[in-house]
Amino acid sequence: MKSTQIRQFLYQAVSLGMIIASALMVWKGLICITGSESPVVVVLTGSMEPGFKRGDILFLYMSKDPIRAGEIVVFNDGRKVPIVHRVIEVHERRDTREADILTKGDANDMDDRVLYTSSQHWLQQKYIKGRAVGTYF
Amino acid sequence: MQEKKAETGTKNAKKANLLDHHSIKHILDESVSEIVTSRGYVEDVRMSNVRLLLGTIIIVIALFAQFYKKKFPENRDFLIGCIVLYIVFNGLLQLIIYTKEKNAILFTYPPAGSVTSTGLVVSSKLPRFSDLYTLSIASADPKSISAGRPVEFTKSVTQWFTKDGVLVEGLFWKDVEALINDYAAEPKKKK
Repeated sequence: MKSTQIRQFLYQAVSLGMIIASALMVWKGLICITGSESPVVVVLTGSMEPGFKRGDILFLYMSKDPIRAGEIVVFNDGRKVPIVHRVIEVHERRDTREADILTKGDANDMDDRVLYTSSQHWLQQKYIKGRAVGTYF
Repeated sequence: MQEKKAETGTKNAKKANLLDHHSIKHILDESVSEIVTSRGYVEDVRMSNVRLLLGTIIIVIALFAQFYKKKFPENRDFLIGCIVLYIVFNGLLQLIIYTKEKNAILFTYPPAGSVTSTGLVVSSKLPRFSDLYTLSIASADPKSISAGRPVEFTKSVTQWFTKDGVLVEGLFWKDVEALINDYAAEPKKKK
C-alpha cells in the first residue's frame, strides 16, 4: 500500500476514534458531575405507575445528604439491574448516622423485602446509587 | 507524463458524489496533492503527524478512563484527571489546527536541489453552497527572502466534472499546473 493511502487510512481511523472518545468522555463527565454510576437510567417495569411508566428516562443525582422517606431512589444491592422505587421508611441511628432503608414501588402491594438479595430486611445507604431528580418521557 | 495520465484515466476514474460538497472538495484536494508532488515537491508530513499523534493520545486517554480497574466512586479522582487531560489535549489540537492549518491541504518541502525557494502551502476553499473552488499556493515561510508571492485561482467545479461526477483529470491538471508555473515564475519578493 502506498504511504499516502496508509496515512489516509490512519487519519480516518483516528478521526473515528476521536468521535467515540468524545462521546465516552461526555458520559464520564456526567458520571463525575452527578456522582452516580449511571446518571441516566430507563424505567424497566411498571412498578412506579402512575408516576413513571416503562420506557421513561430518569436523570439521577447523588449527594451526601441523608436519604429521607418519600424520595425516589435507584438502588442496586448486587443484582444485575438496579431498581427504581420510593423510600418509605428510614431508621437512622443517632450515634453512627447509619440508616436502614425500606423501599416500595408505588404500584406494588408489598414492600421490597422480598427483592432484597441475601434475605436482608433493610437496605444500607451504600446500596443507594442515586436519587431521581428529573425525568423525560 | 502522457502515459501516466492515460493510465489513471482507465484504472481509477475519480468519481465524486455531486450532491455532497465534501466529496467534491476531497477529490479535488487529493488530485491537487498528486499534481504538486508529481512536480517534484516532497510532502511535508510533520503537521499531519502531529495531528495524528495528538488524536491518538486523546483516544488513549479515553480508553484509560473507560477501562480503569476500579469502579465508581473510587475512581472519581482518576476520572476527573482524565477529563481534564482530555480537554487540555483537545484544546491543544484545536489551537494547532486553527493557527497553522487554515484551509491548507498540503505542505511541502522546497524542491530538491534548489536553494532559492521555500516550501509551499497549498490551500483550498469550497464554500458550502457554492460551486466556486479557490486554490491558492503560498510560501511556507512568508518571511524568507526567497518566498514567492501567493497566487490563486477561483473556478467553478463544473469545469472539471462530467455530469456523472467523474473528474476529468486532464482539465484539472492543466489548471493546477498553470498555477504552479505561475507561482514558480513569480518575481521573488524584494526585501
